Amino acid sequence: MSPRAVAGPEIQRILALVPWIVAHPGVAKTELAQRFGVTVEQLDADLLLVLMIGIPPYSPGDYLDVIDDGEHVTIRLADYFRRPLRLSPAEGLALLAAGRAVLAVPGSDPTGPLATALDKLEHALELPGLVVDVGQPELLPRVRDAVARHERIEIDYWSAGRDETTTRTIDPTLVFFATGEWYVSAFCHRARDERMFRVDRIRALRATGESFEPAPSDTDPAETFTPRPDDPRVTLELTPAAAWVAEAYPTEAVTERADGSLEIVLAVSERRWLERLLLRLGPDARIVGPSEFLGVATGAAQRILGRYAHTRSERLETGRPDT
Amino acid sequence: MPDAPSRIERVLNLLALLLDTRVPLTREDIVREVAGYPPQVSANRRAFERDKETLRGMGVPLTTESIGDTGEVGYRVRPDDYYLPDLGLSPEETAALRVAVSAVALGDVTAQGEGALMKLGGLTTEVVAPIASLPIAPALATLFDAFRHRAVVRFTHRGRVRTLEPWGLSSTRGRWYVVGFDRDRAAVRAFRADRIEGDVEVGPADAFTVPDDFRPDDHVQSRPWLMGDDAPVAARVRVDHGHADAMLAEFGADAAVVDEQPDAAVIEVAITNRAAFRVFVLGFLDHAEVLEPQALRDDIVAWLESVVKGAS
Repeated sequence: MSPRAVAGPEIQRILALVPWIVAHPGVAKTELAQRFGVTVEQLDADLLLVLMIGIPPYSPGDYLDVIDDGEHVTIRLADYFRRPLRLSPAEGLALLAAGRAVLAVPGSDPTGPLATALDKLEHALELPGLVVDVGQPELLPRVRDAVARHERIEIDYWSAGRDETTTRTIDPTLVFFATGEWYVSAFCHRARDERMFRVDRIRALRATGESFEPAPSDTDPAETFTPRPDDPRVTLELTPAAAWVAEAYPTEAVTERADGSLEIVLAVSERRWLERLLLRLGPDARIVGPSEFLGVATGAAQRILGRYAHTRSERLETGRPDT
Repeated sequence: MPDAPSRIERVLNLLALLLDTRVPLTREDIVREVAGYPPQVSANRRAFERDKETLRGMGVPLTTESIGDTGEVGYRVRPDDYYLPDLGLSPEETAALRVAVSAVALGDVTAQGEGALMKLGGLTTEVVAPIASLPIAPALATLFDAFRHRAVVRFTHRGRVRTLEPWGLSSTRGRWYVVGFDRDRAAVRAFRADRIEGDVEVGPADAFTVPDDFRPDDHVQSRPWLMGDDAPVAARVRVDHGHADAMLAEFGADAAVVDEQPDAAVIEVAITNRAAFRVFVLGFLDHAEVLEPQALRDDIVAWLESVVKGAS
């Protein structure tokens, strides 16, 4: 069964809510509303529905008994809803995947409550083991530490997009793993703005001895790579072999031609990034425009060829064997 | 479209009856007894089908059984199949699961994580900083369930149909893989779950056993230059200082610095996929060059020359 749109969210909520109240007679409605992610008004509406649940012949004693004093609630006579519904495969998968991901983060307690909870889940529900590896860039523990202590730090950072290393003072606010890499979101004093840094591209990290006042961050890891409105847009022609590019990057327009080739529009914030993409694709991609980008691939290829030619002449001069 | 209260009520009453009954009940019995079904046969038949679909969509184990030898079909939900067993989780353990579900975005199944938490006693109310985003491809939940039941699966992956005993699931570098015994190739193989096209077919349960010492991550190769079938060769790359550490980190333990030069390092690494290796080295632009073997060096030069030629 594939995960589909949650069928009947109200029904699922009520089926989870009833056993909980049965097991916790007199529970406060404000607590219930928080636990089940609803307002107290919605909870009241749910409880009204619960009052209508019963079994044939629907005599007065055949209905669930809801005792609600306005602030606390108790449910009785709910034998058939005494336990919640077992987890669906997607629910089991989601719990395990989230749990294993958090445990994989360096510094997590491998024998703490999360680890024992996952062991119990896997065992009781006969769930398959699941291995999550989120990698561990060398400076990750140090960066996480700085975030936890609101520590201002100085970093030497290599920007792949511009292919240059700069030194910056940053106030790191959030560390997270997305698209297979660790990122730190920080206020960068050099840019005077929020910036995202890849942890594995921090070449060196130094303490400044200062701390900063944390401001609430609204960074959403799922939206790490939103192009900026003023990034240049480049139109590319792709052969079918390179069609994956349209899926892999935030593409703004895709036109499929009769021969299976694609024309796509990509936001390109950094020229070096585009160079890498074009060198990778080789004959399977061609820039259509704008004109200032037409020479990107050739320029990069010639620069690298220059390096290869230099080594060759060096070897000839020094007489080293050209193995 | 949200369900009308009257429909929610009817579905809940249907489920209450199906859980409470000790014998399978026919559709006629059900629509007559349960409050809320319309009187006309065609309308109540449609309504019952829809309700059944809703319950099954939520994972309710609604079974169909024949009643005696009348040939009639009856429905029920066996409580043992329905009830979540008591997991014996302590409050700290439940809290830890809540934090994990709140901190990890799972794409299409994020809502299912919240659904699971509700069954375990509710969501967290504290503000949890995001830790990771590991989007789960739809095929993965099916593969997970197939693994649980030890059922063989068939799917199309990069255009080829595969028959696989799913032995485990693994996530590396943000990507999910199903790892198992490929019956056609008679070997353990890993497949990226997001490259599975279309539906996954699931065979009967208990079709295989998984070796005790199996670990899926042993078989997931995250280094593309080792993913091919080219004869293994030791490649030497000269990389500028400032980029050498990054290259070594990518290569992992198999690589070694064989020569330190004033402004560069020469790194040696074994590769089995030339095309992937070319992509990797070109990612360093003019900060790296392949020195040996000569054939590989020529290959990169030829590739770059074709780029120059193709663009002009």
